[in-house]
Amino acid sequence: MGLRFAVDTGGTFTDLMVASEDGRLAMFKASTTPADPVAGLIDSLALAAAAAGEPLASYLARGDVLVHGTTHAINAIVTGNTARTAFLTTEGHPDTLVFREGGRIEPFNFTVPYPEPYVPRALTFEVPERIMADGRVRTPLDEAAVVAILERVRAAGAEAIAVCLLWSVVNPAHETAVGALIERHLPGIPYTLSHRINPSIREYRRASSTAIDASLKPVMGAYMRGLESRLREAGFKGRVLVVTSQGGVMDAASVAEAPVHLINSGPSMAPVAAKAYAGGTAEETLIVGDSGGTTFDVSLVRRGRIPRSREIWLGQPFRSAMTGMPSVDVKSIGAGGGSIAWVDAGGLLHVGPISAGARPGPACYGRGGTRPTLTDAAVTLGFIDAGFFLGGKMTLDEPAAVEAIRRDVADPLGLSVDAAAEAIVALATEHMVQAIMDITVNQGIDPAEATFVAGGGAAGLNCVAIARRLGCRRVVVTEAGAALSASGALISDLTAHHQAMFHTLSGRFDRDGVNRTLADLEAACDAFAAGPGAGASAVEIHWSSEARYADQAWEIEVPLARARFETEADLAALIDDFHRMHQDIFAVSDPGAEIEAVGWNAEVRCRIGTGQPGRLAATDRPARLPARAVRFLGTEARAEVEVWRLESIREGVVIAGPAIIESDFTSIVLDPGARAHRDGSGNLVIAL
Amino acid sequence: MTDAALRSGAPLDGSKLAVLTARFEGIARKMANTLHRTGRSGILTIARDFSCVVLTAQHELLATAESLPNHVLRGPEIMTRAMTDNHPVLKRGDAFLHNSPYHGCTHPADHSILVPVIDDNGRHRFTVLAKAHQADCGNSLPTTYMGAATDVYAEGALIFPAVKVQTDYQHVMDVIRMCRMRIRVPEQWWGDYLATLGAARVGEREIMALGREIGWDRLDAYARQWFDYSESRMVDVIRALPAGRVTRSSTHDAFPGTPAEGVTITATVEVKPEEALIEVDMRDNPDCLPNGLNLSEACALSTPMIGIFNSIDHTVPKNEGSFRRIRIHLRDGCVVGRPRHPTSCSVATTNIADRVANAVQAAIADLADGLGQAETGALIPPSCGVVSGVHDGKPFVNEVYLGCTGGAGTPWTDGWLTILHVGNAGMCYQDSIEVDELRHPLFVRTRRLIPDSEGAGRFRGALGAYSEFSPVGCAMTVAYVSDGNLNAATGARGGHAGAPSAQYRRRADGTLEPVPACAEVVIGPDEAMVSISGGGGGYGRPEEREPERVAHDVREGWIAAGRAEAVYRVALTAEGRVDPAATARLRAATAA
Repeated sequence: MGLRFAVDTGGTFTDLMVASEDGRLAMFKASTTPADPVAGLIDSLALAAAAAGEPLASYLARGDVLVHGTTHAINAIVTGNTARTAFLTTEGHPDTLVFREGGRIEPFNFTVPYPEPYVPRALTFEVPERIMADGRVRTPLDEAAVVAILERVRAAGAEAIAVCLLWSVVNPAHETAVGALIERHLPGIPYTLSHRINPSIREYRRASSTAIDASLKPVMGAYMRGLESRLREAGFKGRVLVVTSQGGVMDAASVAEAPVHLINSGPSMAPVAAKAYAGGTAEETLIVGDSGGTTFDVSLVRRGRIPRSREIWLGQPFRSAMTGMPSVDVKSIGAGGGSIAWVDAGGLLHVGPISAGARPGPACYGRGGTRPTLTDAAVTLGFIDAGFFLGGKMTLDEPAAVEAIRRDVADPLGLSVDAAAEAIVALATEHMVQAIMDITVNQGIDPAEATFVAGGGAAGLNCVAIARRLGCRRVVVTEAGAALSASGALISDLTAHHQAMFHTLSGRFDRDGVNRTLADLEAACDAFAAGPGAGASAVEIHWSSEARYADQAWEIEVPLARARFETEADLAALIDDFHRMHQDIFAVSDPGAEIEAVGWNAEVRCRIGTGQPGRLAATDRPARLPARAVRFLGTEARAEVEVWRLESIREGVVIAGPAIIESDFTSIVLDPGARAHRDGSGNLVIAL
Repeated sequence: MTDAALRSGAPLDGSKLAVLTARFEGIARKMANTLHRTGRSGILTIARDFSCVVLTAQHELLATAESLPNHVLRGPEIMTRAMTDNHPVLKRGDAFLHNSPYHGCTHPADHSILVPVIDDNGRHRFTVLAKAHQADCGNSLPTTYMGAATDVYAEGALIFPAVKVQTDYQHVMDVIRMCRMRIRVPEQWWGDYLATLGAARVGEREIMALGREIGWDRLDAYARQWFDYSESRMVDVIRALPAGRVTRSSTHDAFPGTPAEGVTITATVEVKPEEALIEVDMRDNPDCLPNGLNLSEACALSTPMIGIFNSIDHTVPKNEGSFRRIRIHLRDGCVVGRPRHPTSCSVATTNIADRVANAVQAAIADLADGLGQAETGALIPPSCGVVSGVHDGKPFVNEVYLGCTGGAGTPWTDGWLTILHVGNAGMCYQDSIEVDELRHPLFVRTRRLIPDSEGAGRFRGALGAYSEFSPVGCAMTVAYVSDGNLNAATGARGGHAGAPSAQYRRRADGTLEPVPACAEVVIGPDEAMVSISGGGGGYGRPEEREPERVAHDVREGWIAAGRAEAVYRVALTAEGRVDPAATARLRAATAA
């Protein structure tokens, strides 16, 4: 086995993890290059080649696999660089993308405009046809009208087509026919059919998935081709895989055919990594906080399973479009190292959601930023060593940080600079805590019973403070936690998610119909395993049903123990599991009530790597660094404290806070009273 | 900030205020999340028609998260007062059921649970309140909107003026049994009751933990300072407003029990920058009506405030502190005032209530450009009505949301499309057609926006919505109370009115038959209900609208090119681009 690379392109940094032939890991960080993200990706590989003392080409030639997490899809949407897309919908329902599902935030804020539909109304076309809820055709498809519509689509200069007809998930005949007409009359134009990309009920979500997917096909196709060819030019001969929103990976070429899977490409890997590296016992629940330069992403591992959600938004909830795709449930808030602190006219402190980002960046970066940020507060308090940021690759301007905090926060609040910096960290911590509480309440998880896994370059600054507020007793910073998502990508499985709609009630369970649906899903999984998954060391199919109580509105995803319903016991098991899961998430269940199953999922996972987390290469650098004066949260003065080098701390050594533990990539603040040690996997485990 | 710093005796600085505010808001949000995920009926879990708030023991509104404005701005403090007046000795473990419009609740459909938070010394420190609109509240007809009810007896709901439903965390089963004997689908009510109670108990638990961590006196000090901060923000905002006194009216269409010309609601708004005060006088209005449209005291106080807060800097916190700078004048026995028992307030949260909020925000718009808003479209068209019937021997009943829009033009933006009505602020959701067709014997032929139905303006109102739906294999009753057929949402500062609402039966032969505005209509299997919701009013003169926005609206099909020229005075080229020279000529001619 050769080298394995995982590259996660974030908003500020591009993280690279390399697993060598002997299973050792190495971590590198390069600056993200937003105009040409592949350049930053190759920069990070060049850093690794240099560290190995090899020319890039021969180093890359040793590579077997490169796994890429990318924000390119979401960036293309945000910057308007998607294809001009036409939307074909059932006659009488042209405004599905305009209405969305209603809902709003900030009831008194009328300064934010209603979002434009994902596809303009001018490029929306009504198709004469109608299928009913039971699949019956009420109005046959008017093919001649479709041909005329396609002529208008062509004349409008559309570069992609999205087709979403009502009830296509029950009877796809009309969508399939429209697809055939597109191929005949507009050959070569990329198009997406809703029942193929997202076969689930609720027309807005399905239409939105379809429109986003179609609009991304040209740009992501070009990106994936560019990525592969530039890697080949640089000398890489292995397989190029890309991280999906579902927490798996797909071949770059096939994901270009379904690019809606890339919307949450990076963040979805954080819980995968947490589960693999910090997993602990199967009964354990992990709260994963991934803190970078611009956002704080929260996700969960609940008893070994990563919860999924379809309510993933392109921007702010209710002010943007929903992707509607089943994705790893990640909640993102605008709180990162770049979050700006300011005091309003009434004297109230705010931190974020405005961010200085990578450019102009925090005041201490010296790149033109003048407003104080969370990173500036961390430098001021001594959490971060201004002379040893990123292992000394970047020198920070500490006086600039102090001055920005004095001017914008300390003076307006009448506080000392240290107290103001402390207040900034405390308020940012509270925002992160509230984001975690939102997602844990919605999943029915008690944070006090969970372990907090902190990842990302900025996580160490307040992971102990966050865990204390949540009532967690244990914090884990994985050995490669500063590049948490990349470390997850390194061990992730080749994955495909297949879903189908089939509606049935527990009291009149249509066993044959469900089994037919499951057989179709299994065939699709087998085809994937035999194709892209060929040669996998292990293949697993994870089955689940989307079900609800008969009078409810929203489904929950319940794992199935078996691939078919053969006996009454199989149905009884689903019913029992549904009640238990409902009790788990919602704290109530209704054991006598009938259950309604709406959708069926099969996720096929093909193991391509070892699936085993590796260890960073050992270092012989001394474990102790010079002590420095640090102001901790909740203390009135600075204290001279021990500073440890993370990767050099030996197993068995216990470090008592107050102390700072730092690496080339992060700085971990060990508050007074906390105790830390490294476990056998290299994780830093902090007991509170 | 540390616990030690928070507990210290010094006044809280701006950073400590911010942290405790995040924590109280987090508690209200946690209550709301709990209610949303555990509720049983569609109106809670789909439409999200509920609110959760925290009040001090002194009956002051402290934290509201993202509640529905007309549920919570005013009224909760009257409800907690009813609780302490009726139950002078409060104990930990108590909970109270409250839905009395004569004691501070919005209307009888809004069952609320109040839980006093009692510290370890037995002292009442805070009260948490969870309010949830019920699918049924025991009315004499199967609807929670009894527009034609002559009084509370005709209405028929059980009224609970802060009645104890839990002692020592145990249900008072007598009350529960009474509810189960009166409320339709009692299992659904019981599920929603448990969810609402659970939300209040979550709030109680969280505040207990916060009090023990921070110290109760410190939390009291926080509340005082937070109110002072909020008041100071409000003072700054009002001082920057122009002084003035404006009277505006808004007329609700004629309904059963109203005068033939409808009900004209008059609001006089006076802004006094030198006193940093806004006063609203609602006393010049008709006496209570012999129907269900009368406002409760809570709604009569909240709805003018909605008009005010919709009109100013949205970052001013809404709590007892900012409310100190607002005075609402009401009189007893007035349709917008303090109703006397047994006046019916069944429809207190929407129809007349919206006329109040609309009149106030349009009055503020009259004061100066850049302030206030136009009027929002009216409720409740058949597309948001209650559908019921019997299909294959099984009864069905549900409120649907099949297209209601109506956002008003504002000084900053076009109307928010899915606002629903001014008191709701767009917080509720719209139905999925596939979900409705799966759940009910329903076929939705059409749901679309109506071109040229916007109130034209510099910032235009939202377009109205057209929907058409039929029963499948049975007959279906649609119950609704549709205002705005005659009195459409008016514009502000030269903005135009939105299109009016309307409703029809489409007969089997395809022709349209008008049906009344406040009715229960039976639609046959070969017929369809046609619902037209009103557009929102425009803000500012249409000739002031940025030409690019007009061209965009034409391109999108929201307005016709002819309307662009005739109303907005924008000339477009054959390709649909703005013709700047011709537009300038058109607009100059208008100005002359």
